[in-house]
Amino acid sequence: MRSSKRLKQYDNTGYLFILPFYVFFAVFIVTPILMNLALSFTRFNLKEVKFIGLQNYLNLFEDEFFVRSLINTGLYTFFTLAFTMLISLFLAILLNRGLTGTPLFRTSSFVPHVVSMVAASMIWYWMYEPAYGIINRFLAMVGISGKLWLHDEKLALASIIIMSIWKFTGYYMVIYLAGLQTIPSYLYEATAIDGASEWQKIRYVTIPMLRPVTFFLFVTGVINNFNVFEQVNILTQGGPMNATTTVVHQIFIRAFRDFLMGYAAAQAIFVLIIVAVLTLMFFKYGSQEQDVEVA
Amino acid sequence: MPQYNRVANGIWVAVLIVISFIMIFPFILMLSTSLKNMAELQRPVFSIIPDVLRFDNYPKAMARGNWGLYFWNSIYVTFWSVVLSLLFNSMAGFAFARLRFRFRELLFIISLIGLMIPPQVNMLPIYVILKYVPFAGGNDWLGRGGLGWLNSYWGLIAPYVAGSFGVFLFRQFYLTFPRALDDAAVIDGMTARQRFMYIYLPLSKPVMASLVALKATATWNEYTWPLIVTMTTDMRTVQLALSLYKDEYTIEWELLMAATAVAIIPLLVIFFCAQRYFVEGIVTTGIKG
Repeated sequence: MRSSKRLKQYDNTGYLFILPFYVFFAVFIVTPILMNLALSFTRFNLKEVKFIGLQNYLNLFEDEFFVRSLINTGLYTFFTLAFTMLISLFLAILLNRGLTGTPLFRTSSFVPHVVSMVAASMIWYWMYEPAYGIINRFLAMVGISGKLWLHDEKLALASIIIMSIWKFTGYYMVIYLAGLQTIPSYLYEATAIDGASEWQKIRYVTIPMLRPVTFFLFVTGVINNFNVFEQVNILTQGGPMNATTTVVHQIFIRAFRDFLMGYAAAQAIFVLIIVAVLTLMFFKYGSQEQDVEVA
Repeated sequence: MPQYNRVANGIWVAVLIVISFIMIFPFILMLSTSLKNMAELQRPVFSIIPDVLRFDNYPKAMARGNWGLYFWNSIYVTFWSVVLSLLFNSMAGFAFARLRFRFRELLFIISLIGLMIPPQVNMLPIYVILKYVPFAGGNDWLGRGGLGWLNSYWGLIAPYVAGSFGVFLFRQFYLTFPRALDDAAVIDGMTARQRFMYIYLPLSKPVMASLVALKATATWNEYTWPLIVTMTTDMRTVQLALSLYKDEYTIEWELLMAATAVAIIPLLVIFFCAQRYFVEGIVTTGIKG
């Protein structure tokens, strides 16, 4: 009998092979999610746990810092992602034309991605320095008065966004470039025969063909940018006047400065829900026409 | 490739030069600053080339804090995170691709949850878990009393070991191996362990190299987790030490930039030598998915 023979082929070695991975996976990924959920219904300061029901969730929207951080995170995500994707697509299309020096340009755009966020932040901290920083020096040269950048309530978030765009463009560019190389050249030849201009080729061949790549970058980009923390904590610590505090920065502050672990857990669950809802929405409305698989 | 005209190409190359310059300039500025002194930095007229190359800024910067130890900590943590996670990931990937066992598909799907959880969300509970590891850091058998794995190498390494993405990538890679390979091995009487060690692992070099590049860069560059889990200066990693540099000492820009240069140069050297693997790793994550 075929079925009994098949059953015999099962053996338990498989479990041994996945065991080491699964132990770490269970302890450091699955358990934390469940703990977040459990702790979010409690008051917990690492010493005492007290069940307080939904109180933490109710407090979320009364907390002006948290509301502010949601707005900041939304603005940060929108502008960082929009500019990063536009610039990287433009750059990738240029780099795909086989111009002189392409490898050099490609490598140099990619370098900011390789260095750590800490190092990048340090360099930009120096560039944004109001008195001797290169940016104000340059502005002075063209006759614009210097700004306080990271210390200016109105400019701090924008300063962080500009740095982040610089940091992330190379990564997006590399992925777009790989996507461009999968577009079959006969499509361009066919449009050339139809007399399409350069712009029309990009508009009607390149951009539609890149749709799965764009979708992937968009979805992962929203999730990653929504969790922005490092630049903020290094450059401004959320200041000035909470102008740059973000959701993950709030979680960090509440958990490890104020030791309001239960409240921070509720914030974390809130982030998880937002991320999950956004992802589901993107998949529902974003990928109707094409089969897109996202790793 | 369609024929483009010369003038247009010239303009596009110029645009590329400008963009690349913006990308690279901060690093040039970093090097230039690290070789100047304060008086030069505050001069009204800016020059990218220092008057004299003041290399002694580097030893001066390194004298602030125990940088030898920070490097050792970073190397140690990166090494073990990469080795353990790639070993465990490849084993799991092999099992999911080639071994038959009950609930295999279900267990595989569950393991993909790790791809969807932003690590920042889990940092709080992981902190709590590490604090209550029994018999560690002065804890009793219930995990009470001490620090557990907080402020320890294990605390820095353990949260990076799982890595669902690696499992996924190894599985996809092993699925492309011809079945005949396994059949031949089985006929020769090889066990699953032998097939993994003598056939699959040696043939994994391409995917290994990309994952090493990705994982090592990510661990080496990590800031948030060391910030949370370490407490004493002797446990600091390079990135954490660098991030605290500007807060703990009065800012001397030339020394801060020298320290920054020291922190990124090892990685940049590796990047330029093995650029292929860095790019391939990223492309596989983005395209093949």
